[in-house]
Amino acid sequence: MTAAGRALPIPAARAGRQQAGGRRPAGLAVYLIVGTVASILFVLPLAWAVFRSLLPDALVTSAPARADLSHLTFGNYSGLISGGDILHYAGNSLLVAAMTAVATAVVATMAGYGFARFRFRGSGIVFAMVLATLMVPFQALLTPLFLEMHTLHLTNSLIGLALFYTTFNLPFGVFVMRNTFLQVPWELSEQAAVDGASATRTLISVLRPLVVPGIATTVLYAFLFSWTEFVGALTFLTSNDLFTLPLALLNMEYGSVGQVNFGYLEAGAVIAMIPCVILYIALQRYYIRGLTSGVVKG
Amino acid sequence: MITDQSGPRDATVPRAGSLPPGPSWASAIGRTLRGRTLRARRTRTGMLLISPAFALVAVFVLFPLGFAIYISLTDWPLIGPYHFIGGSNYTELIHDPVFIHSVLFTLLYTAIVTGPILVLGYAMAVFVRANRRGSVVFRTAFFLPFIVGLATESFMLLLELQPDSGAIDAVLGKLGLASASTAWTVHYGLALGAICVFVVWFASGLTMMILMGGMQGVPADLYEAADVDGATWWQKERRITIPMLRRNIALSLIISVIGSFLAFNQFFILTQGGPGTSTEPIVMWIYQEAFIAYHLGYATAGAIALVVVVGIVSAAQFYLLRDDNTTAKSRLGRRR
Repeated sequence: MTAAGRALPIPAARAGRQQAGGRRPAGLAVYLIVGTVASILFVLPLAWAVFRSLLPDALVTSAPARADLSHLTFGNYSGLISGGDILHYAGNSLLVAAMTAVATAVVATMAGYGFARFRFRGSGIVFAMVLATLMVPFQALLTPLFLEMHTLHLTNSLIGLALFYTTFNLPFGVFVMRNTFLQVPWELSEQAAVDGASATRTLISVLRPLVVPGIATTVLYAFLFSWTEFVGALTFLTSNDLFTLPLALLNMEYGSVGQVNFGYLEAGAVIAMIPCVILYIALQRYYIRGLTSGVVKG
Repeated sequence: MITDQSGPRDATVPRAGSLPPGPSWASAIGRTLRGRTLRARRTRTGMLLISPAFALVAVFVLFPLGFAIYISLTDWPLIGPYHFIGGSNYTELIHDPVFIHSVLFTLLYTAIVTGPILVLGYAMAVFVRANRRGSVVFRTAFFLPFIVGLATESFMLLLELQPDSGAIDAVLGKLGLASASTAWTVHYGLALGAICVFVVWFASGLTMMILMGGMQGVPADLYEAADVDGATWWQKERRITIPMLRRNIALSLIISVIGSFLAFNQFFILTQGGPGTSTEPIVMWIYQEAFIAYHLGYATAGAIALVVVVGIVSAAQFYLLRDDNTTAKSRLGRRR
């Protein structure tokens, strides 16, 4: 790779550099080949899981062979849907993820707006406190959280789980939303204030189009985080009926008597994977906006 | 630097509370009076806006944090009365071989995966940072494992690690590198090795994304000047990119180290900590101790130790983001 590869999306600069450096077509071919091979290394395991989930039961548990390609079937999926309540669990996951996404978006947008535009005594301390949540791993607070949420009747509750997820998505969301509001030109909201609009009205009508990308980023992160979050759900949900997808999969791994039905397990995992892939590919630019905001939780 | 890319923080923008300059002293007085009530109203609105966030953080972070310290000083069982026992949970912790092993195991695991994640992530970032044909597709492909998530992928991997039916045995067996009936999840070394490779595959995309954002912010004329001087690719990387990316590299390292400290899903799903408790990381020790053995007080003492360690590492993250925070503070200083 040469300096000509530097990112500058300005056509003139690109053309200029190509003139100066000159990119040989052979270079591009090598780049594409290396990139494709590397991409296969990252995507093949996921695609492989899809392939495995389409094998009939007897073949899943035997060593993979080339001949299997002619036996593909949706049997695992139909078996899972009719007998395993997978849609119910997927619905739980979806409900929790949607509640978390909406709650995070609302709370973070309000707080981001408040922190960016309404400075008052103590707001800096509260902002630091919200951001400091990033430093506290929820994995280490499972015991006090369990006892507290149990007392508040929030264990074994999808709403309780969603509130818990919302809180731990807040530092990121508030940070992104505050930056978003800081980037909006102040004249706009001033003009609205002069015209007699209230703060709420200003937020809704004037700032919305400028703020929606920030909200999309917040929603996407909150959704992807809570869709298959594992340890929190494992701790706070004990009733089979409320299980989210990863707990349902865990049930398939341990809960069943005797042999694990790997075909079902693979199909269930693929069902958990697909929304993530679709959402990410569709909303990639919002996701990357969030990564470049400076606060990411690994 | 990534935090600086969030946009211009121009200090010259007019304050929302200010009004256009009036022509006479009379309007100046009126302005002051109006400004005062306006300020009170703005304070009230601001407080209302941030109160839900504050309430959630208070209920789900601050209170549990304080409560955790309290629980850790008791012999809290899941059901029944508890007794205040001072620091004896902590002294017990230091002498508990299972806990010490989980700490050491977590450190070993972190030490193994951190380097490869950074190096691979860096190489991938170099590969996809340019806007050339294919780079966006490659970027997406490299990042996909991170998006799908460790829990889902651990369930997928479970089958492939099984003896005789797993793809890993099939491939390695064909290559003559392993027996086709190697049971990966029940041997300490094999399980750790497989999970480390799996996690590097999973996490290096995130490092790539963080570093790529920084690389694209390096001014192109620096490289052009280096080209004029006849610098090689490696010289440019070492003298320009890496120094300019110091903050991004540190940030990606901190994120990956904290992620490793908090490892749970892959071990819980793939090995259940076994054989024995040999592959049990700290979070899993906490979980087992609290919710399987019902020693809530004792488990929480271990959790406090984890909070302290993670707190110290992420304090470094705040230190790295301090430029941004000082900007915020200086803005806060000029209250309306």
